[in-house]
Amino acid sequence: MAGLELLSDQGYRVDGRRAGELRKIQARMGVFAQADGSAYIEQGNTKALAVVYGPHEIRGSRARALPDRALVNCQYSSATFSTGERKRRPHGDRKSCEMGLQLRQTFEAAVLTQLHPRSQIDIYVQVLQADGGTYAACVNAATLAVLDAGIPMRDFVCACSAGFVDGTALADLSHVEEAAGGPQLALALLPSSGQIALLEMDARLHEDQLEQVLETAAQAARDVHTLLDRVVRQHVQEASILLGD
Amino acid sequence: MAEAAAVVAESLAGYRARAARAVLEQVVLPGEELLLPGQEDGEGPGSAGERPLRLNAGARSGGRVVCGPGLRRCGDRLLVTKCGRLRHKEPGSGNGGGVYWVDSQQKRYVPVKGDHVIGIVTAKSGDIFKVDVGGSEPASLSYLSFEGATKRNRPNVQVGDLIYGQFVVANKDMEPEMVCIDSCGRANGMGVIGQDGLLFKVTLGLIRRLLAPDCEILQEVGKLYPLEIVFGMNGRIWVKAKTIQQTLILANILEACEHMTADQRKQIFSRLAES
Repeated sequence: MAGLELLSDQGYRVDGRRAGELRKIQARMGVFAQADGSAYIEQGNTKALAVVYGPHEIRGSRARALPDRALVNCQYSSATFSTGERKRRPHGDRKSCEMGLQLRQTFEAAVLTQLHPRSQIDIYVQVLQADGGTYAACVNAATLAVLDAGIPMRDFVCACSAGFVDGTALADLSHVEEAAGGPQLALALLPSSGQIALLEMDARLHEDQLEQVLETAAQAARDVHTLLDRVVRQHVQEASILLGD
Repeated sequence: MAEAAAVVAESLAGYRARAARAVLEQVVLPGEELLLPGQEDGEGPGSAGERPLRLNAGARSGGRVVCGPGLRRCGDRLLVTKCGRLRHKEPGSGNGGGVYWVDSQQKRYVPVKGDHVIGIVTAKSGDIFKVDVGGSEPASLSYLSFEGATKRNRPNVQVGDLIYGQFVVANKDMEPEMVCIDSCGRANGMGVIGQDGLLFKVTLGLIRRLLAPDCEILQEVGKLYPLEIVFGMNGRIWVKAKTIQQTLILANILEACEHMTADQRKQIFSRLAES
């Protein structure tokens, strides 16, 4: 971390944000006509696209069908041009598989899978530009896509990352802050019930500081919820106006 | 770790439930909690223990409340599971209660008992047909469930045919089952759909809109050309007019209705009527 000051004495970060401030979020729902549900989100320079198909018949071997709930199948991929250095393979590497599993855990917690036994729900997420917080952007995009598809959910899921620098917890890390190598926490929250769908941390952090970082991430996730809430309301309103209500 | 998580949960629990009557016709989102008319006077479901006892506590003054799609009962709490507008229908008898549901814009169909749908026959196996209705499982259709069908007089149904039928069994744990007769054994418009015509898909919201009793779109379309049209609740529409050109025009108009306001629609119809 030679020379790079992640948090200035005045309390500003490299990109000029305060410690608990989010990057600009812009989102759209229903971007594809073909899919059952789709959404696009921009969190700062991180851009992600999510598509949902389902609940449909189990694809592949029928042995994978679950008798009591739907199978949630998540696939993560990041475009070859998404990072500074061009990637070889867009999907199928270790990191993508892990991200797919994390997304699956998150959405199994949020989607009411028991309403559609012996069926499958596909969630495909692609990151078009990666600038930190890809997991959070993927979860937020996928939530909007699932909502667009009209799949029953226990609650909205909102995700945000948080880090810890010089005794201060930072919300919504950018790529520069992630690359500095400090502890990094990803939190997916069900905001109205306050339950945690997924919590993951890289690197070591003292237990005493965990609470502070967790609270920062949770507050950021609630802020994300406020923003996404507005996007969904506007989308539904527009759609129903067109149908002549 | 566990303590920290508990702190987060505690600080978030203060999400206020809103009265269902207050948000009627407004947009609701998953995770929101609603209060039914009977619960509004109390401080919400949480304080049920402190509520004064009433003589008619068993029979709630609001009457029987039915929760339709998009709503879920959890104990005595009412939670929203889909995004859309909250709708309410007064019961026929008139003393409170009624039906609440969320009107959402979705494309994927989930079979519901009693719905009339358009299916495509995908397989014939023994004495049942497999019919694709766009749900998560193909529906089954017995060859005996056509008007006038007997064991010797089989209906003429081929793979690839379109079927207009009704669900008699549709629940999440069983394979959906269709029939093409009503309870009196009459076809009542159901059965195999004829050879010509065009099948296309629209969202479920538009179908519900078109099937509403006072639908303007349908009246305007009817004035344009003489036509035959079948609406399936699964988002499929089959249409046939005198010529292929007219059929295509009708299909395009109906598809475009999804993205047009009432004024734009009127313009299009008046322009077509002139030409």
